[in-house]
Amino acid sequence: MDDQVILRVEDLRTHFDTDEGVVKAVDGVSFALRRGETLGVVGESGSGKSVTSLSLLKLIPSPPGRIVSGRALFHGQDLLTLPREALRAVRGDRIAMIFQDPMTSLNPFLRISTQMMEPLMLHQGLGRRAARARAVELLQMAGISAAGQRIDQYPHQFSGGMRQRVMIAMGLSCNPEILILDEPTSALDVTIQAQILDLVRELTRSMGTAVILITHSLGVVAGICDTLCVMYAGRIVERGPTGAVFAAPRHPYTQGLIQSVPRLDRQGPGRLASIRGQPPLVIDLPECCPFHPRCDQAMDVCRRCHPPATGLGGGREVRCWLYPEGAGHG
Amino acid sequence: MTGSPIDPQDPLADAFSRALRPVSPWADAWRRLRRNRMALAGLAVIGLYALFTLAAPLLPIHPYAEQVVAHENLPPSLRPAGELMLAARTAYLLRFRAAEGRLEFNAEERQELADMARAIRTDPVHRRHYWLGTDNLGRDMMSRLLFGGRISILIGLVGTVTSMFLGVLLGSIAGYAGGTLDNLIMRFVDILYGLPYMLLVIIMMALFGRNILNLFVAVALISWLTLCRVVRGQVISLKHAEFVEAARAMGASPARIIFRHLTPNTLGVIVVFSTLMVPQFIMTESFLSFLGLGVSAPLASWGSLVAEGAGVMSIYPWQLLGPAVAMTVFLFAMNFLGDGLRDALDPQSRRRG
Repeated sequence: MDDQVILRVEDLRTHFDTDEGVVKAVDGVSFALRRGETLGVVGESGSGKSVTSLSLLKLIPSPPGRIVSGRALFHGQDLLTLPREALRAVRGDRIAMIFQDPMTSLNPFLRISTQMMEPLMLHQGLGRRAARARAVELLQMAGISAAGQRIDQYPHQFSGGMRQRVMIAMGLSCNPEILILDEPTSALDVTIQAQILDLVRELTRSMGTAVILITHSLGVVAGICDTLCVMYAGRIVERGPTGAVFAAPRHPYTQGLIQSVPRLDRQGPGRLASIRGQPPLVIDLPECCPFHPRCDQAMDVCRRCHPPATGLGGGREVRCWLYPEGAGHG
Repeated sequence: MTGSPIDPQDPLADAFSRALRPVSPWADAWRRLRRNRMALAGLAVIGLYALFTLAAPLLPIHPYAEQVVAHENLPPSLRPAGELMLAARTAYLLRFRAAEGRLEFNAEERQELADMARAIRTDPVHRRHYWLGTDNLGRDMMSRLLFGGRISILIGLVGTVTSMFLGVLLGSIAGYAGGTLDNLIMRFVDILYGLPYMLLVIIMMALFGRNILNLFVAVALISWLTLCRVVRGQVISLKHAEFVEAARAMGASPARIIFRHLTPNTLGVIVVFSTLMVPQFIMTESFLSFLGLGVSAPLASWGSLVAEGAGVMSIYPWQLLGPAVAMTVFLFAMNFLGDGLRDALDPQSRRRG
C-alpha cells in the first residue's frame, strides 16, 4: 500500500514574521496522500489548514511567511527545494489548486475561454484550437450547458456555483495527480454545496485524482473523504480513516467538534454542545498542549509538554496525553 | 449530472445559455458612457479637434507660416482681406485728417487710397478671407490655430503614451515584485519628482538647443511618474486577489501574471488617469512656450499663440481670444470625457460621490 503514496509531507513548519512575534501557522505537520485518495483537513479558522496547502506549492507570500523546515516529497522529489521553474511546471499541471471564493478567483477582464485555455497551452503544449476544444469538453463534464457558447463569456455572467464548476474544470484540465481544494464550498449556497461536492467526487473518481479537501465543515468531510486530518494550532491532532474517526473520536478536540455538529438522526439533549474558549493565538506558544485551556480532561502534563503523535493502529494517530505510547493498541 | 441546477439536456436552460451574449467589462463601460451626455459631448468635441488638426494640411487654408505684411493685425471677419485693409487704412487717414482739422484728403492721401483700391482689384492675395483675423506678421490665425493644435495635442499624446509605457511597466513591476526592486524603482521616481522641473527643462534646452524634439523629451521625462505610483498602488492591492493566486497556483510566470492578469485590471484606472493627464501635458507645454522655452517660430502651439496674443491683447484681442478659446474648449472636453470614463469604468465611485 505504501508504494501508492504520491505525496508525503514530513514535519512541515511554516512561520510568519509579524510585529507581534513569530506566528507558527504550521508547526510540524506530517501526512501522506495515496493515489486517488481523498484526504480531508478540518480545523477552525487559523488552525493552519490553508497555510499547509499553500506551503506545498510554495505559494506563501514571502516575506512575511517562510517555510522553516520540512519536506514535501512528491514522487520522492522534494517540492520545497525545487527550483522556481521546475515548481511552476508542477503547479497546475500535476498539482492543481482551487480556492475558496469563486467570485474572485476568475479574472473579471478575461473570457472564460482565455482563462481555461491558459494552463492547457502552458503545460500541455496544445495549440489554440485543441486547447479550446478540450476546454469546452471540460466545461461540459463540469455540467455547464451550451458550453460552446458559454465559454466565450465573461466571469460576471456566471453564478457563484457555475464559477466554481468552471474552477473545478480548470483545476482538472491538465489531469493533475493531486487536486487541492481550499474550502471550495464555503462561499456557496447550501444547495449548491452538495452539487459541487458531488461533481468533485464524480470527476476525481473517474480520473483517479487524489484530493486534499480543506474545510471547516465536518459534514463536507463525512460526505466524501477517505481519510481525515484534524488540525489545531498548526498541528495535526488526530488522523485516521473518516469512518473510524467519526465513530470513535479520540482527541478531546475532535470529540468536541463532532458533538457540536447538529444531527438529525440522533435525539440529543436540548442544547447543542460547544467547545468553550477561543482557539489560541499561535504567537510564541509555550511548550504545552495548545488545547489544554479548553480541554475538560486536561492533566498536569498537558501544561508542561507538547504531546507526541501516538499510533493507535488501523492507520489512526492522535496527539494527546490521554493516549500514552502504545496504550491505544488492542 | 445528478441534481445539477442546469441540466445540459434541459432545452429551456440550453436556450437561455445560447441566447446569452458575451458582454465584456469594456462593453459594459461603453454602455454606461453612452448614457452620459456631457462625456459624449466631450468625446464628440475631441473627435472634431482630432479630425480638423489631422486634416489641417489638406484643408483649404493659407499656409500657417506665410507672411503677408500688408495684412497685418486684421480683425476676424467674413469679408475679404482687401476690403478690411482699405477700411482700416481709410479709418486711419480719416483720424489723421480730423487731427489736422482738414475737411478733405490731400492729393497724396487720395493717391495712396486709389493705389490700394487698384491693387485690391488686381492682386488675388487681397481676395483672401481671414475668419479669425491675422497676427502682427499677417499670418492667418485660423491656420496657425489648427497647426498649433497639432503640436499641442501631439504633446499631450506623447506624454500619455510615454506614461502608458514607462509608468505602467515600471509601476506594475515595482508593485508585483515588492521588496528591493520596488524600493529602487520608487526611490528613482521620488528623485525625479524632487528635481525642480523648470530648472531641468531650462538646462535641457540650454544643452540640446530649443527644438520640438527636446520639448517632447522634457514632457515625457516627468509624464510617467504619477501614473507609475498609481499603477503600483493598484497592482499591490490586486496582487493578493484570488485570481492572481489562482494563476500562480496554475503555474503562470510572473511576467504572465503581470501583463495578462494584473494590467488589464488596472487599465480602467490607467485610461481615466491618462485622459485627465492630457490637459496637464498641454498646460505644461503652454507654460513652457509662454516662458519662451517651448516651440520656436514659425512653428506654433496653443501656448505660444497665447503668449504672442497676450502681449497685444488690449489692441488686437482676437489674437489672444482665438487660441485661448480653442485650448479651453479642448481641455474642458477632455475633462468631461475623463470624468465620464471614471464613472463608466468604476460605477461605485458615482454612487459614493
